[in-house]
Amino acid sequence: MLIIKLAFRNILRNRRRSLLTLLSMGGGFFLLCLTLSMSEGSYSNIINIFTQDHTGHVQIHHTNYLERPSLYKTIDKLDTILAKIENNPQVVGVTPRIYGPSLAYGKNKTFPAQVIGIDTEREAQTTRLKSKVKLGQYLTSNMTKDGYFEAMVGYSLANNLALTVGDELVLISQGIDGSIANDIFIVKAIVGDANSYEKMNVYLSLPAMQQFLAMGQGEQSQAHELAIILEHQQLAQSFAKSLQQQLLASELTVAPWQVVESSFYNSMQADKKGSYVSMGIIIFIVSIGVLNTILMGTLERTREFGVLKAIGTRPMSVFNLILLESFILAMFSCLLGLLLSLPVCYWLATSGIPMPEPIDMGGIIFDTMLGEISWYVVLLPSGVVIASTLLVSFIPAMRAAQISPLKALQAS
Amino acid sequence: MTTLAQNKKPKNDDSANSATVIETKALCRHFGQGDTLVKALTNANLTIERGEFTAIIGPSGSGKSTLLQLIGGLDSPTSGDVLLDNRHISQMTGSELSDFRRDHIGFIFQAYNLIPVLSAKENIEYIMLLQGISAHERAKRVTTIMHAVGLEGLEDRRPAELSGGQQQRVAVARAMVSEPSIILADEPTANLDSKTGIELLDMMKTLNEQQNMTFVFSTHDPKIMERAKRIIRLVDGCVVDDERRN
Ligand SMILES: Nc1ncnc2c1ncn2[C@@H]1O[C@H](COP(=O)(O)OP(=O)(O)O)[C@@H](O)[C@H]1O
Ligand SMILES: [Mg+2]
Repeated sequence: MLIIKLAFRNILRNRRRSLLTLLSMGGGFFLLCLTLSMSEGSYSNIINIFTQDHTGHVQIHHTNYLERPSLYKTIDKLDTILAKIENNPQVVGVTPRIYGPSLAYGKNKTFPAQVIGIDTEREAQTTRLKSKVKLGQYLTSNMTKDGYFEAMVGYSLANNLALTVGDELVLISQGIDGSIANDIFIVKAIVGDANSYEKMNVYLSLPAMQQFLAMGQGEQSQAHELAIILEHQQLAQSFAKSLQQQLLASELTVAPWQVVESSFYNSMQADKKGSYVSMGIIIFIVSIGVLNTILMGTLERTREFGVLKAIGTRPMSVFNLILLESFILAMFSCLLGLLLSLPVCYWLATSGIPMPEPIDMGGIIFDTMLGEISWYVVLLPSGVVIASTLLVSFIPAMRAAQISPLKALQAS
Repeated sequence: MTTLAQNKKPKNDDSANSATVIETKALCRHFGQGDTLVKALTNANLTIERGEFTAIIGPSGSGKSTLLQLIGGLDSPTSGDVLLDNRHISQMTGSELSDFRRDHIGFIFQAYNLIPVLSAKENIEYIMLLQGISAHERAKRVTTIMHAVGLEGLEDRRPAELSGGQQQRVAVARAMVSEPSIILADEPTANLDSKTGIELLDMMKTLNEQQNMTFVFSTHDPKIMERAKRIIRLVDGCVVDDERRN
């Protein structure tokens, strides 16, 4: 097509200027791509770390439990639901939990504690709890020879109660039947540190917790929460949606981590908006350069547009020609940008940048800034570069299309 | 050899039957107002027949360009009317006028005005592309017309690689190749030396005779105007003389 030839040759006409534009647009692409890669990568990393820490990618509760927790809002028929979830090939692990806020007595001291009943094996497959044991052995559902169940105590609580491995811990709470629940447990392990999620928690095995709170056992098992880990955190929302569809009849609510950790999710979204602003500034600066090129290029060729129009080119075709030239420039810029970005993004995604000082985010150590390569990281900058170029070309193209051929021909 | 005139199909019944290509009726073009009013063209009533080879002559500033621009639909008259192939061009707007110029008018400018990034061949092809003519037909016409204007072998040269005379020949070819009703040339030889100018004019005259193509050109060079079959003389925007010769 002659129009494409014409556009190409017009670009090649002022090689130095086109090359500079190409470089600045390609550079803009590169910066955008890198910014996105870093922000997406860092967030993926954080999300992975905290979902694997305790939240999981998806949680199931009795409806309204998250808004207003209660001992009585239970997930019944636990085994059926667990089997159903485990059948899904996307699921890597699922673990039930029972929550019972209690008073904990140590050596002459009392502190409130969140007591959590866990399926010790499932929990170890689903979250990193087992790896956070500081002292002693990971919890089991065994009883000591004296007939006491084991307990695992959070680091700060253990400190406050002056407890260590082998000591007795007394818990007082309310049973699900309204009775006063109290029992003695033997500290088997100290878990976490002063900053971690577990610091004021007590962990009991599921049978121990069920017996403590007088809840159903075995076939009648109940729980307050199911935490599910999927193959990838990005599956969370779609998985939650489809599982909710299957559980419509029950009084259960399926929530992805975005809902469970909504305050983190919202601040992450806000932070992303912040990075959009800096990307906007990059684009703005690049666009001014592009505007300059296109404007100079069209002003110089005013006379030629006059000729094109005089011999019968429609205004729209002149407009299209200029937009086509910009589009070609933008495409090549994206190609150049991609060529520059991909190796760097790959390096960021695989090796990452080690942080000079690891950041401790609520007990989660964050020591490497990782990038990410995804369609989003590549396509968004492409879209932005192409769209902003076309936008910037719009005014010069309009001007050239509307100019009177006579005036254009008389231009020097 | 197929001539362009033989390829030409009637554009509509009116123009096929009528010998009149252009008619101007009380055509006026004024610039400015009050003290600065310039009457570039006053009350021009002209009729140009198919196949005429007409020179518009007059001193600089007499209104020659203004008249050609009005006829070609590049400018709008202050009053009066231009009919081209019996159509009122002052009533057309936007892309209608673009299409009209594309199909009915061939322009040749004093400054050649070829597209610098296109080769001679592509400059000629461009307008046919706008007309939606097939690649095969375009190639055929380019060959024919390059021969007719005596530029065989220079098809792939860019304008910068051609002499002024050669560029103007390409411009003539570009103007003719779309088979317009009329070719308007505003001082086509003014940028050429006298000998080259006369050669160009002779070539245009040959095309006019062989292919019955209608030419209207302006000049103030006596050696050029001699070659016209009809001379329209303008003075201060008024037609003062209209003479047909043999
Ligand atoms: N755009 C314009 N604005 C004002 N005056 C103009 C304009 N174009 C032409 N004129 C005036 O109209 C008159 C005729 O000009 P023109 O047709 O160019 O003459 P020619 O081509 O015979 O030299 C001149 O006096 C010129 O100054
Ligand atoms: Mg003039």
